[in-house]
Amino acid sequence: MKELIWAETYKMFKQGKTYYALLAIFIIEIIVLFSAYYQGSSIIDILLDNLKQSFYFEGNLLNGNLLVYLILNTLWFHLPLILMIVISGMLTAEYKDNTIQSVMLQPVSKWKFLLSKYLVAIAFTLLTVFFLALSAMLFSYTIFGKGDLIVYLDTLNFFSNKEAFSRILWAFLCGTFSMIFFSVVSLTLAVIFKESTKTWIISALFLIISNMLLKVDFGNEILDRFLFFKLNDTWQYLFYYDIPWQLIYSNCLILLAYSIVSVAIGIFIFNKQDVG
Amino acid sequence: MIRVISVCILILTGCFSWSQTIDNDLLEIKERLDVVNQFTADLEMTVDISFINMPQKHAEITYERGKDLKVNSEDFVLIPKRGLDLPLNEIFKYDFITVDRGMQERNGENYKMINIIPTDDRADFSIATLLLDTINKRISESRINTKKDGAYTVKMAYAKKDDILPSDVEVDFEVERMRLPLRYMGKEADVDKEKYRSKEVKTGKIYLKISNYKIDSKTAS
Repeated sequence: MKELIWAETYKMFKQGKTYYALLAIFIIEIIVLFSAYYQGSSIIDILLDNLKQSFYFEGNLLNGNLLVYLILNTLWFHLPLILMIVISGMLTAEYKDNTIQSVMLQPVSKWKFLLSKYLVAIAFTLLTVFFLALSAMLFSYTIFGKGDLIVYLDTLNFFSNKEAFSRILWAFLCGTFSMIFFSVVSLTLAVIFKESTKTWIISALFLIISNMLLKVDFGNEILDRFLFFKLNDTWQYLFYYDIPWQLIYSNCLILLAYSIVSVAIGIFIFNKQDVG
Repeated sequence: MIRVISVCILILTGCFSWSQTIDNDLLEIKERLDVVNQFTADLEMTVDISFINMPQKHAEITYERGKDLKVNSEDFVLIPKRGLDLPLNEIFKYDFITVDRGMQERNGENYKMINIIPTDDRADFSIATLLLDTINKRISESRINTKKDGAYTVKMAYAKKDDILPSDVEVDFEVERMRLPLRYMGKEADVDKEKYRSKEVKTGKIYLKISNYKIDSKTAS
């Protein structure tokens, strides 16, 4: 198993598209950062409009914390899209190049082979989110400095710099569960569809539908609470003034359970499939 | 005949001078406040507005007669436009008359209530109601109806018996409820259409704790 994981890691970092993906995330981040900077002052203006009559404002709200928060808001769509393309490619490329047949001729169990891909996919997702968090914070805090964070979530919430930084860290950690879910789903879709273009289209469709259904109210408490697409913005709860930790923990655990089920389905189908 | 005319003139003069009189207790308080030329103090501010969640803020305030109050803070702070004019410069800036409204009881204490009506159009308030602590010669409460910024009430408590500047201030003011475009709504933000259509006015409160006064007086007090 160790050798398989090592081999998958080697393949992942040997292929050029991994670096293209990281570069793409980096470019998107820079664009989001600058558009957020220009959009940021108008957002603050709108948020504080009602208070202008009664208050003067002292201090700078257009700072690194607000920009990281805006990056968090926008990247949770672009990031899984790129992750899904790279990760599904881990298997579709094997089908395309027929290397999977060579691997299967070796004394390698099919489930171990696929499980190692899932584990490397999860590790890559963690690494990518870490890279995203690190670069977002590095750019934002270096260029735009620190300060209080203003967030509108039904109420206007202000957080001190220290509090905002800790909430942003938790938000990245919480968002990682969502990213892992999308990553493993894309690999499961690759098991089902085998062909890269089909898998990409289905993965993108899955992501788009998940995003569309996120805000839909199903009028059923169980559906609204437990369907996976209702859990993908759990990280936003970190910016409620009183953090509902219990809800966050349970949402992350449910997402983890969905991810495990997705892995299990993938391994089950792969075991049943005729690789040749 | 001359005697009758003299009596009439005396009565009219008396009435006129009464209507133009400024309450003596207020004049005494104004005199005490006028001594404050400049001061700095530490400010601890708590905002209580239904749609705002903000941690307690700390700042340093610097007051200089005739200038805007300066607030220095490392944090982002909302500085109330009204209520921080502790020496009541805005009220006393232009000519006014006062009307005695009798005694009022607040928390078991008796205060003299007076109305201040500006006689100069340049004043930015239409009427002010003050509760005067006639024993300690200071203002306990003021309600000011401004021409542009609505009405606000300032309640003041003092640390020591002879203090002229308050240690605790509560400012009540009107603030419009937030109406944001949908795209700025976050997760599960409730959109109460009726609420958002109506120009609902809410009351907000700010609690100020002011300490470490360093007062520069005109004369020793």
